[in-house]
Amino acid sequence: MAGAGMNNIKARMKSVKSTMQITGAMELVATSKLRRAKEKVERTRPFYETLGEAINEVIPALEMTDSVYTARRENDKTLFVVIAGDRGLAGGYNANIFRLTARLIKDGDIVLPVGKKACEHYKNKDYTLYGTEVSYVGDLGVGDALAIGESITKGFVGGEYGRVVIVYTRFVSMMTQSPVYEQLLPLECTGSCSTAVPEYDIDPEQMLEAIVPKYVGGVFYSAICEASASESGARRSAMNAANKNAKEMIDDLMLRYNRARQAIITQEITEIVSGAEAL
Amino acid sequence: MKEFKLQIVTPDGIEYDGMAESVLVRTDDGDVQILAGHVNYMASLGTGRAKITVGGKDRIAACSGGFITCNGIEVKLVAVTFEFADEIDIERAKRAKERAEDEIRRAASDKELELARARLRRAMSRISVAGK
Repeated sequence: MAGAGMNNIKARMKSVKSTMQITGAMELVATSKLRRAKEKVERTRPFYETLGEAINEVIPALEMTDSVYTARRENDKTLFVVIAGDRGLAGGYNANIFRLTARLIKDGDIVLPVGKKACEHYKNKDYTLYGTEVSYVGDLGVGDALAIGESITKGFVGGEYGRVVIVYTRFVSMMTQSPVYEQLLPLECTGSCSTAVPEYDIDPEQMLEAIVPKYVGGVFYSAICEASASESGARRSAMNAANKNAKEMIDDLMLRYNRARQAIITQEITEIVSGAEAL
Repeated sequence: MKEFKLQIVTPDGIEYDGMAESVLVRTDDGDVQILAGHVNYMASLGTGRAKITVGGKDRIAACSGGFITCNGIEVKLVAVTFEFADEIDIERAKRAKERAEDEIRRAASDKELELARARLRRAMSRISVAGK
């Protein structure tokens, strides 16, 4: 019966509409979160850049002395600090990070998952996990980041791993976020690096003992800010696309509904006409 | 007085970027003052009062964490917190101090105690800086 078809379409339209309400609300939430996170990223960026510049300045001096912080290690294990989100429904945000990590990682490497989704992802796989894990990215503060930086550096100096790499999503713009990785330890000169070896009154190694953990923590904190802004950005785009799709589906269903209705009317008219003719 | 380029950044943004005549900070080994032409230097910062001199005027700030580097030309101060005296919310600092004292009394582990003590130090440094 055509009537039953109409009821089906109506039910489907209702369900699409209610999904659209949810995705619409999520888009609004993500937009307001994104605005806040974006401001935070913009405030943290100079900190991150200066941090890098300051460390770049001492690297030549360290390389001269074969410092533990710059020397390549015999231990070729790498610690991957993987920053993903706490929640799903953010398009490819979490999947992109895991894909990038999977490309870099090799057997025997250690993972420090940050974020609920990362914890879930790596728990089910055969990776060696770092002792502690960070289950929620959302409420990490500077203090927590510094504590983690300290513990990561301690493990590196202690020789548990020979390299530390951080994988996170860089917030390029409201529309684009790209997964990136960066080597934290051993310290390596990136970008513009002076070739002149600066001289220090104090042993650079000794100075760095207190500074490197702060550097690692600082970079980690910046990465978290970038990642959480990226997460909101990715979620907003995903929800925006979902809304558009839902709208299209409703339009399509409306068309089918109207056609079905028209078909019933036409059929009724035909029946009446043919009934009248029979008389 | 001779000037040098000084940059102060925290995770909350750039606090200062410009010329200065002197910067005095509390490092892990005690107060250190840097003037123009200082040798290469790098030190980790503790919690305490910082003083920068710009155009003959002193500006006091509460500073904690991070490090300072000097490459002979410019000085970079990368701090976890850096607040100028006139920007400090003294009521908030007082509340933070009470909270930290409370946490010290209730701290269950050494780690918690250490964190609470650091918080108390920061709050007290803020209060003393703002009071001047």
